[in-house]
Amino acid sequence: MSKLALHHVSCRFGGITAVDDVSLELEAGEFVSLLGPSGCGKTTTLRMIAGFLNPSVGTIEMDGDMISSPASALPPEKRNMSMIFQSYAIWPNMTVAENVAFGLEVRRLSRAAVRAKVDHILDVVRLAALRDRYPAELSGGQQQRVALARAIVVQPAVLLLDEPLSNLDANLREEMRYEIRRLHDEFQITTVYVTHDQAEAMVTSDRIAVMNQGRIEQVEEPRALYARPLTRFVAGFIGRTNFLEGEVHGAEVVFDHFAIALARFVEPPALRGKVAFSLRPQSIHLHRRPPAASERTCVIPGRIVQRAYLGEHWDYVVRPKDAELQLRVTARPHEVFELNEHVWLELEPSQMAMLR
Amino acid sequence: MDIARSSIKWIVLTPLLFLACAAPASAFEGEQTLYEAAKKEKELTWYTAHYGSETAAAVCNGFEKKYPGIKCNYIRTTAQVAYQRLAQDQKAGLAVASVFSSTDASHYGRLKQDGWLQPYRTKNVAELIDAFKPYNDPDDMFVATAAGLVLITYNTSVVAAKDAPKKWTDLLDPKWKDHVSIGHPSFSGYVGTWVVQMRKSYGWDYFKKLELNKPRIGRSINDTVTMLNAKESWVAAGPSATTLQSKDKGNPLALVYPEDGAILMVSPTGILKNAPAPNAAKLFEEYLLSRECNEIMVKQREESVNKSVKPLPGARSIAEIKTIRPTYEEIDKGIPEVKELFRDTFGI
Amino acid sequence: MRWRHLDKSVFLWLLLVAALLLLVINPLARLVWSSFQHGATGAFTLDNYVAAYGRWRYVEALVNSVVLGLAVAAVCVVFGVPLAWAVSRTDMPGKGLVWAAILGTFIMPSYLGAVAWILLAGPNAGWLNRAYMGLTGAAAGPFNIYTKAGLVLVIACYSFPYMFVFTRSALDLISSEMEEAATTLGAGVLRTTLRVTLPLTLPAMMAAFIVAFLEAIALFGVPALIALPGRIQLMTTTLWQFFEFPPRVQVAAAYAMPLLGITALLFWLQQRLIARKGYVALTGKGGERRMVKLGSWRWVMLAYCLFVTSLSFFLPMVVVLQAAFAKAWGRGFSLDNLTLANLKFVVVDQPITRAATLHTFVYGGASAALALGLALAIAYIVHRRLVPFGNALSYVAMAPFVIPGIVLAIGFYAAYTSPPLVLYGTAWILILAFTTRFLPIAYANSNAALRAINPELEDAVRILGGGRLLALRRVVGPLLKRGLAGAFLLVFIPATRELSSAIFLYTTGTQVLSVLLFDKSDEGNFEYLSAIGLILVIGTVALVLAGFRLVGRDFMLKRTAA
Repeated sequence: MSKLALHHVSCRFGGITAVDDVSLELEAGEFVSLLGPSGCGKTTTLRMIAGFLNPSVGTIEMDGDMISSPASALPPEKRNMSMIFQSYAIWPNMTVAENVAFGLEVRRLSRAAVRAKVDHILDVVRLAALRDRYPAELSGGQQQRVALARAIVVQPAVLLLDEPLSNLDANLREEMRYEIRRLHDEFQITTVYVTHDQAEAMVTSDRIAVMNQGRIEQVEEPRALYARPLTRFVAGFIGRTNFLEGEVHGAEVVFDHFAIALARFVEPPALRGKVAFSLRPQSIHLHRRPPAASERTCVIPGRIVQRAYLGEHWDYVVRPKDAELQLRVTARPHEVFELNEHVWLELEPSQMAMLR
Repeated sequence: MDIARSSIKWIVLTPLLFLACAAPASAFEGEQTLYEAAKKEKELTWYTAHYGSETAAAVCNGFEKKYPGIKCNYIRTTAQVAYQRLAQDQKAGLAVASVFSSTDASHYGRLKQDGWLQPYRTKNVAELIDAFKPYNDPDDMFVATAAGLVLITYNTSVVAAKDAPKKWTDLLDPKWKDHVSIGHPSFSGYVGTWVVQMRKSYGWDYFKKLELNKPRIGRSINDTVTMLNAKESWVAAGPSATTLQSKDKGNPLALVYPEDGAILMVSPTGILKNAPAPNAAKLFEEYLLSRECNEIMVKQREESVNKSVKPLPGARSIAEIKTIRPTYEEIDKGIPEVKELFRDTFGI
Repeated sequence: MRWRHLDKSVFLWLLLVAALLLLVINPLARLVWSSFQHGATGAFTLDNYVAAYGRWRYVEALVNSVVLGLAVAAVCVVFGVPLAWAVSRTDMPGKGLVWAAILGTFIMPSYLGAVAWILLAGPNAGWLNRAYMGLTGAAAGPFNIYTKAGLVLVIACYSFPYMFVFTRSALDLISSEMEEAATTLGAGVLRTTLRVTLPLTLPAMMAAFIVAFLEAIALFGVPALIALPGRIQLMTTTLWQFFEFPPRVQVAAAYAMPLLGITALLFWLQQRLIARKGYVALTGKGGERRMVKLGSWRWVMLAYCLFVTSLSFFLPMVVVLQAAFAKAWGRGFSLDNLTLANLKFVVVDQPITRAATLHTFVYGGASAALALGLALAIAYIVHRRLVPFGNALSYVAMAPFVIPGIVLAIGFYAAYTSPPLVLYGTAWILILAFTTRFLPIAYANSNAALRAINPELEDAVRILGGGRLLALRRVVGPLLKRGLAGAFLLVFIPATRELSSAIFLYTTGTQVLSVLLFDKSDEGNFEYLSAIGLILVIGTVALVLAGFRLVGRDFMLKRTAA
């Protein structure tokens, strides 16, 4: 039995459908991200799971019991969940310790037990020294950790996070991504994490559900999601990619001024008519001289039309010979090419993901 | 020798007579029984518009002193409000007030008609100044217990005595333009009666001409006192009592008893049929006519209705001056009419 | 529907909604009903409306009142907004003084101020006019209080504190980052203030505008003192005519109905204008509030602040003091005219003053507590959409303010003097009438305060297992404390000087100071009137200052240098 299950959940306000036929199941202890751009319905979905909103259609179940339906819903306070809000929602009129202790007090633990748990969790998030400070005296990152501590200390059945890192600076965000994953691993809480940042999702999640305009486009673990995006949207949203459109003619797929034999693809019999592929910039290699031919690869001549040096890698834009198409290529720092230099592109068709 | 003996008789008797006359309480027949019955009722509520709240408080205190054991509660408002409260009480079936004193004589016709009063012939009515007796109800539903005068008042620091108006028509003199103060008949029973009388004596033209002087119109007749004290107005159609009270404090005010007659305001009091304290009410009505009460009233510069009580220096007794007054019917019918006319003429 | 799914606090919300309806709808319903009733027979009729609006004079009065209301509200903006901005966001000196003067203005009954203003700006003998004549040698002074302008000025003087308080509360919550964003783009102080800071306070200003408007058109005391001699027809004085003997309560009710329409219109306008913009400026984090430096302009601002408060407080207080300590106020200033006798009489010799003082403050406090509690609950219910038709509830909560105090009192009287609930003659009818009368202010303030609190703060409580009530008690309540203290005062103080409803509902056991004061103005006894007024002002100030002490730490203040 899954820990948390959404069955065909939709949510409509007035004339707008914010969430459209979403189904998702989480196992106990799983960390799933809802990833998508603003307005895709991820926060609405989260709030339905929390119980702040009722679905218009569909049901939500936890441990097999129905907790949300259009007709009735268990109030949030009875769901034994925890949530971290985008604004952290740390209560300014209470100290750090009081904030963290709140959920335990509601559960009527003894004062000694509360104190012990609070002390422990503050150690875990490394805020023990600040336990008597007020939120107004804390930095953003510290407030964030208070929110985390407060949410985790009650050992919720499900932990919900609503873009908790979006207000932090880049370094802190990176640090906190790992922190969140670490805490998850330590306490093994089922977690739903909402974000628009794919790097965050990739680092923290067991599986990622990519959402767009209220629907889930793909649910997959990060590597498979990256390597095998199913739709244009997912491909474009997760990392950068190149879109190659072609048409099947006989035994090969014809692209813009170059062609690749059907046999080289992963699932050749599925290809018919017009097809589109996603090819990651890391999967193309650049050479000064044509590399040795092989079964796995395909070599195309081209020309560098743009380049940018980012320290950790090069970003090249390459145009295959005679083509309109422009391909982005990521190369290692020492692979230096000049503008307008003629190069050879080496592609691996097995790395090309077919898009629906 | 006979003359001497009769002189001695008088020399001896006079002080005794004097002592007899100075006997404390003015008692009336049956007072003790009424007092006993009233004591059982413990307290009495009185709606009054007859005087200001200090006077009402003093009157009530006097009653409690004379008849210990009966608490006297007063609610002092303007006549309109007093009637409104009473009407609401009656409509709600609540008996709060036992005694009702309004300055608007036309209220009493209505009260009598609606059957809200009970008759009582006071014993102390014998002490009432004769001039007021015609204003008592023939069916004993109400009796005159307070009187006032509307006359001409002015501020002595801006108007010399010789220049002050001597009669009502003097107020129409253009030299008083922008400097005359009056009240409004919609708010004040006194003003309403004055307007009715002026119309009776001089026709409505009086007010059309008065408007040329752009009078300062307040609400209550007592607003004239404020206007004079502020020197916003120099002359006014004002009340004798409050003007004198203010003058006693040291304010530069003076009265003129008009040659064509000061308006005599006779304000009745009635006992309510559903009075919670009917005996105390009767006792109170007697008290209002008594010497003690009227002594208190003249100290407050109100007019006395009791023959034997004279006003303090500075005021003249009603018996000595020329007074004029419209009849009940004229007031009853006239006040609603003049309210409309007043609004048409003065625009407010 | 499953039992455990039911949020049990819903019963409490329903109870509160019922209380609101009883308090507000009952008297209003009686009023509406009687507007259609024939005076003698009780049959349905439209005659009352014909009588009420048949004469041009009555219509003119309504038009005058509406124009008066708008003018007063506009002047309140001119008075209140710059002062609020100066006190809240600039480095102007003397803020304590200005704030104290505004508090004093708020406490002073408007009819006391009106009488003082007659003395100051009466066309013939006003002190200001005489000073002008003395200085310039002119034949007559330029000030005439008995004009529409004078009326607007006096009413605005005593209504602008609402504008000040509402605007200041809103300004206090705005982070300086908003202004700094504008400054870095090159905008100067004035442009930033006009284009960035003040627009953010628009909901608060609009609420205050409406409050000032409604207060102006429903006043009785000041119009009676100034409009009447100024020959200006107004709605409340016209209403008084309908209560004249013989009273035509039904016509009065009909006459008062358009005011309800006006409130509805104002509300609709307010909703339209601010509905689409988000005004949540307070979250769990938030920025700082730094004072804008004005340089030498701060003295100009201070001068303006003192000018406004002189008009409303300092000048009238001089008049009141002079009269309270004068043997005869008509004699003016002179050493031999000084006495303590007025105060002694009022405090010592007249037991009714002591009783009235006690009643005034007790009823004021009780009604403020009730109004605030109910208003907060209703605002919460509406904001969090706990029951359907929330907007209708908003309207109900605001409706009483548009009914002139007199008329509301009559409605109350009609509703609570017959069984099942007979309150007439008790203190409760006064307390409930005040509560209803001032519920709109409490509501407007609660609404603004709640609007500024991020709902996520409550959601955080709920997800951790606390119900809505716990969220209210542990989080929302404490956060609102300072704002609530302000709202409490906004009801308490007007309740202490409330006249128009008290005058119909009091009895001997429940006398209050406002009625005592008004009686004195009726009696031409300005010395005692001033003495009582002085006691009222000083007593209220003392209680208010004590109250400020009790309000604890301000949690809305943002980060300091750390």
